Amino acid sequence: MKVSLPLKKFLMPTFLLTVNNKQYTVEAEADMPLLWVLRDLLDLTGTKYGCGVASCGACTVMMDGNAVLSCQRPVGTCVNKKIITIEGLSEDGSHPVQKAWQKAGVPQCGYCQPGQMMAAAVMLEKNKKPSDEMINTVMSNNLCRCGTYHRIKQAIQFAIEEVNKKSF
Amino acid sequence: MKKVKIDRRHFIKITSLASGSLAIGFMVPGLPALISPFDCEFFQPNAYLKIDKQGKVTVFVAKQESGQGVDTALPMIVAEELDVDFKDVKSEIAPFGTLKEGEHDTGGSQSIVDMYTKLRKAGAVAKAMLISAAAKVWNVKESSCAADNGEVVNTISMKRIKYGELVCEAAALPIPTEVVLKSPKDFKLIGKSEKRSNLKDILTGKAKYGLDLKVDGMVYAVVERCPVMDGTLVSFDDAAAKKVPGVLKVVSYKGTGIPMHVRAGVAVIATNTWAAMKAKKLLNVTWDEGQKNNESTQELYKTFELKAKTKPQIDVYNKGDVTKFAGQNEVTANYAEPFLAHATMEPVNFIAAVNAGKCELWGGLQLPDWAVNTIVKDCGLKKENIKVNLSLMGGAFGRRLHFDFAIEAVKIAQQIDKPVQLVWDRTDDIRFEPYRPANYHALKANTDSMSNVVAWQHHVLGTPVSFMTDGPDPKNAPEMDGADRGFVYDVPNVYTGYTPVDFNINRGWLRSVDICVNTFPVESFIDEIAQKLKKDPLQFRLSMLENRPDFKTGDSPGSMVQSPSRVAGVLKMVADKIGWKEKRKPNHYIGLATHSFIFAKSYAAHAIEIELIAPKKFRITRVVAAIDCGVVVNPDGLLNQMEGGLAFALTQALKGEITVTNSRVVEDGFFSYELLRFDEMPAVEVYVIDSKEKPGGVGEVGLPTVAPALCNALAAAGNRPRTLPIRNEGFSWV
Repeated sequence: MKVSLPLKKFLMPTFLLTVNNKQYTVEAEADMPLLWVLRDLLDLTGTKYGCGVASCGACTVMMDGNAVLSCQRPVGTCVNKKIITIEGLSEDGSHPVQKAWQKAGVPQCGYCQPGQMMAAAVMLEKNKKPSDEMINTVMSNNLCRCGTYHRIKQAIQFAIEEVNKKSF
Repeated sequence: MKKVKIDRRHFIKITSLASGSLAIGFMVPGLPALISPFDCEFFQPNAYLKIDKQGKVTVFVAKQESGQGVDTALPMIVAEELDVDFKDVKSEIAPFGTLKEGEHDTGGSQSIVDMYTKLRKAGAVAKAMLISAAAKVWNVKESSCAADNGEVVNTISMKRIKYGELVCEAAALPIPTEVVLKSPKDFKLIGKSEKRSNLKDILTGKAKYGLDLKVDGMVYAVVERCPVMDGTLVSFDDAAAKKVPGVLKVVSYKGTGIPMHVRAGVAVIATNTWAAMKAKKLLNVTWDEGQKNNESTQELYKTFELKAKTKPQIDVYNKGDVTKFAGQNEVTANYAEPFLAHATMEPVNFIAAVNAGKCELWGGLQLPDWAVNTIVKDCGLKKENIKVNLSLMGGAFGRRLHFDFAIEAVKIAQQIDKPVQLVWDRTDDIRFEPYRPANYHALKANTDSMSNVVAWQHHVLGTPVSFMTDGPDPKNAPEMDGADRGFVYDVPNVYTGYTPVDFNINRGWLRSVDICVNTFPVESFIDEIAQKLKKDPLQFRLSMLENRPDFKTGDSPGSMVQSPSRVAGVLKMVADKIGWKEKRKPNHYIGLATHSFIFAKSYAAHAIEIELIAPKKFRITRVVAAIDCGVVVNPDGLLNQMEGGLAFALTQALKGEITVTNSRVVEDGFFSYELLRFDEMPAVEVYVIDSKEKPGGVGEVGLPTVAPALCNALAAAGNRPRTLPIRNEGFSWV
């Protein structure tokens, strides 16, 4: 037997968010993770759900210049922050990390790659010549079941070359 | 060049485009000949491709993309025969229903094997029609026209006309029944690396996977499932759950039996995924778990060990008489492999809308026809009323061969008046999925005084997938590829058998399937015999491969062919590249393994070098892989599969394991079901055998030899692991 779902209006608080340099007002419970605000409310589905418990890195976004797992950040803690998602990393895929990923032909299924690229982009923003140890530490937070690690490693080297070329 | 007969059943003629009678009425005498007499938008001679007036080609990809690169390799095959610039080719999912039943099926590394000739013909048919169209336009013989990079050239006048300008002429022509295919020496695209066709979309976050799809009015559902397979729902209390803002409704549904064994569930429906996830934790559900609620993997392995001592329940292959050599220079060893989860990065999900008996579905499915046929049976819908929209998948590895989640979505949608997206959270994904069966192997071999293997026995014990999908009937049970009549080593007396053991959790096929399961014990044991006889493991294997001619593995005309010489070829390649004959560095050891991925017609081997740091602690210092898959369509795609396959297989060798107590899976996510991480990935070198053989599949071929090569290296270093994952035997790595 079918039931008609009520067109209920839930009373929820509103939050003003700055995502990819645009302002959004969202109505959500304060504990709703940024991940689901981005995906379900703002239709920014480039940020991926992988685990919800900080174990896979698929939901990595940039917040005030830091890499943040959006599944761990209640929307209530995200106001007055500058949030960048994969959709805002560049307008046309021209960010050095995206270009490097393109050159190395990294993706297989591609699902984890937005998170991988956001993690790499933040790392390079903080340090243009990261050591192998730092690359290992940072990138080991992000899982890839297809196993594209070999190419991610290669792509990060391409990106390092690119960002250091630009600075001189 | 060979002529190929076209099987017309494979093609769908778009009749509305080919009928130009109306348009003819608008023909004005005296118009330049180049203006087409037909009104049309594009030319689509078959279900696999269309060409528009701008000359842009769309290839409709029959196989489902989940990372294996079919959305690039398959269009390359069409573009090759069509003679177009690959930049003008766009890849789209072939809409469900435009192909023969079963043609969308994606699995077993069969996409290239299945589609290679079909797509070459499809491209060649289109090209032939475009050439005919140009010949008509120029009023010359077809033999005076040739295709060249998206244009037809008049070889006498050297005039050129673009494909896009010919589409309406071509659309009006009859479809030829015979076409000439290119000679491989003229290939311009096949064999050259192309980047993934949707690369830019993936890199900018625009690629839409099933979980990213939105349907008008859609709501979200998350499900609490019965912890035990085939249990039933007694009652539930949703009072607390319904108080979560965003929650619209809580519904329940019954489980199903064969083939998917969907578990009984209670679904929270909400305006967003988070509210549904949060509310699910507040449900209070009472289940009747049934009788089989106390099984454990610990007990299962005891059962395996006990039954391994008895005769196999099913005889699989028997050649000569192994009993003649009983007790003579006998070597025995047992090996064990655990249940495994697919753990795709995109958790399974599905959208369903059911209204007035009409059903529309959205999501990723590897076997959409079987899914629809089962939904018809399990949900009481009419097949003609089901519309399926297939989507890109964030990993599959066999997970989406199963469609339990699609049945669940329909069962929920049947109870509400809005489209619903079912989302499995990660805990659901690790706890309730169809697991690669646990298995156990008892091997025995006898040698003669010349150190030749004269008898080989392999008893496989497993918890077969078929017991879940078809019911516990032993006759369909054996999952014995690699250990049946296709057993590749030249041993005069061989006996293999299978013993099924039922176990009450969902099982399914995982990437590399039973070939991976059986290659581990076979390639470990052959090494173990060589070690015991103090023989060089490379020469020992080659002596049983190199001189054995290709042989058929069955009696029917279509039976698969096993090629020991190709199995030897990849082995020699990895041994040569890793420097098998050279002196090893101190504390460095190399292990080898080779195999045939028989039904994908591909062969691969690995050589893995380790450095021993402590008796059971090691570092992987080098990995060399070789593959022989015949003609390579997209070399970059092949490399990516082989590199990634290493990571997938190392997860299995080192740490992948699902354990069960009280018929419940213990692991609940990536903290407890660990996958290989970035800092654990060794460098890998991949070598490809140059071959003119028919192209084989490559998605699964890079996995089976990884674990045995690693274990053989550890054995050379002094300790042989016989259980996967090897950390259960106390091994650790850096």
